[in-house]
Amino acid sequence: MSDPVCLEYRIEGNDYVDAGTASNNIKNTLKMLGVSSEICRRAAVIAYEAEMNLVIHAGGGNIKATITESDLFIEVEDKGPGIPDIPKAMTEGYTTASDEAREMGFGAGMGLPNIKRNCDKFDIQSEVGKGTKLRCEIDFQK
Amino acid sequence: MIHSVKISKEACQGCVNCIKVCPTEAIRVIDGEINIIAELCIDCGECLRSCIRNKALGISEDDWNSIDIKPDSPIIADPVFFTQFGHHSKPEELEGILAGKGINVLVDEEEDAFDLSAFATAQLISRTPKPSLPFISVYCPSVLRLIESRFPELLPRVLPVRTPIEMASELYKMRTNGKVAPQTLLAPCPSKITMIHEPQGVERSPFTYGVTVRRIARGIMAEGGKQEEAKPVTKNRNNRWIAWARRGGESMHVQAFSDKKLAILSVSGMRNTLDLLQELELGRLRGVDFIECRVCDTGCVGGVGTADSRFLANLRLGNIETNWEITPKERARAEELYSMDFWPISKEYQPRPGLPLSDNVADAMAKLQQMKEIYKGLPHIDCGSCGRPSCQAMAEEIVRGHGSVTDCIFKLREGIATLANKIVSLSESPLHTVKRKNNDENK
Repeated sequence: MSDPVCLEYRIEGNDYVDAGTASNNIKNTLKMLGVSSEICRRAAVIAYEAEMNLVIHAGGGNIKATITESDLFIEVEDKGPGIPDIPKAMTEGYTTASDEAREMGFGAGMGLPNIKRNCDKFDIQSEVGKGTKLRCEIDFQK
Repeated sequence: MIHSVKISKEACQGCVNCIKVCPTEAIRVIDGEINIIAELCIDCGECLRSCIRNKALGISEDDWNSIDIKPDSPIIADPVFFTQFGHHSKPEELEGILAGKGINVLVDEEEDAFDLSAFATAQLISRTPKPSLPFISVYCPSVLRLIESRFPELLPRVLPVRTPIEMASELYKMRTNGKVAPQTLLAPCPSKITMIHEPQGVERSPFTYGVTVRRIARGIMAEGGKQEEAKPVTKNRNNRWIAWARRGGESMHVQAFSDKKLAILSVSGMRNTLDLLQELELGRLRGVDFIECRVCDTGCVGGVGTADSRFLANLRLGNIETNWEITPKERARAEELYSMDFWPISKEYQPRPGLPLSDNVADAMAKLQQMKEIYKGLPHIDCGSCGRPSCQAMAEEIVRGHGSVTDCIFKLREGIATLANKIVSLSESPLHTVKRKNNDENK
């Protein structure tokens, strides 16, 4: 039983230049480990959407990916404005993205729904004024 | 895997110029000579370009003198071929001279095939929903191989249209009822020659032989084209297909067949190609319909198998009379060919299997941790002295068992310094049988 591989990234808010590098890194690590391409694809989507949410909405935050032999955990944390209505945020097409973000082509309102769709276990906690925590799991066996 | 870049063992001095420019880090220096890792090579020719001092790299092509080329054997010439001659810069003139020499370039088929390719591309773009755009052109085979190796997530965006060079060859076969005359491709680069041995999107390449544009063009320049021998060309040529020889030509052709104004990006050169594909991968190119990338600077005229300056070739292209207005007859022709349905690829493009650190995930994870530890101890300057293109590549090779830490000249020096210190401290350790000199004696 080997030690899990832990990858941690600090994401800057509103940094549209480097946005996507952390999720790219996670994906490349999974490839190097020989994880199946389907799981790599799902993990890439989760990590990317989470990273973009940190950039666009949260004013930055942290992403931690933990890879074991049997699963992948992605934990995302921020000290942003928080989500007042989580079920609403989970509906496709609903977005609170700024004009700046939408001018760049973001803010389609698919971020959280895409994340949920691609993981096996999804958990989101948020408090207005305090921040948001996301925890996703992909089970390699499934 | 067959590749078309060949190495001269005598000339190669094992310098690190080529290993640093390879976009897939496919080259290593072992025992003073380079070695190209076949699974990683994309035949782009960057290594060839960089080997200035020793000229140890060349293109592997079929020997024009010894292959079975009878007069009037069918030849498909890359569009670049028609840009190589200062004295015959009018394509119709060159066509006549070639015909006079018995070099049967299938210009009819090439005009039709390139029109078909542009038409099919325009159709696909107009019928594809915006989120699935842009389409990526893979007329440059190295771009396709680059995507298969480094950007496999972009494979769904690759244009599923056969390359017009091959389609021209298929058209000729159809028109001659499949008479099996071996066809030769005149290619401007090792990438297109490799296409013959390792076809993509189709089970087998329609070509038998691949010869460089340089070989034939230089031969013709040496002989000189005698006007008297030339056979006059009576057909009206639109010359659109020749525009593909430079960056932007394919894009203009696709636009010519489109009803509306398309958002097209066309870039050339390895750096621009990599940057553009990276931007696309990160989802930053929304609103773009079509992407044209060429790994050679200014397009195929900048290929390493050409005969003349890419700058002069570009100049000539600007002067070739090209008709961009598609006539109704030409459009009907393209539609007819399109309906014959031989333009789609018949074999799906596949990602190049990456080499994971191990077959077993647990072992790969352990190796990944080891690799990180080893990498931490390396100098991170990517000097190439170890024969690997980067410290990251060195760390990876150590963990795969293909090298040791002391291959790094800086780690070796560090090791020697540690040993030297040990030797000094050993030499200073006390001998019990010899009285040690101390301060009392000096009083």
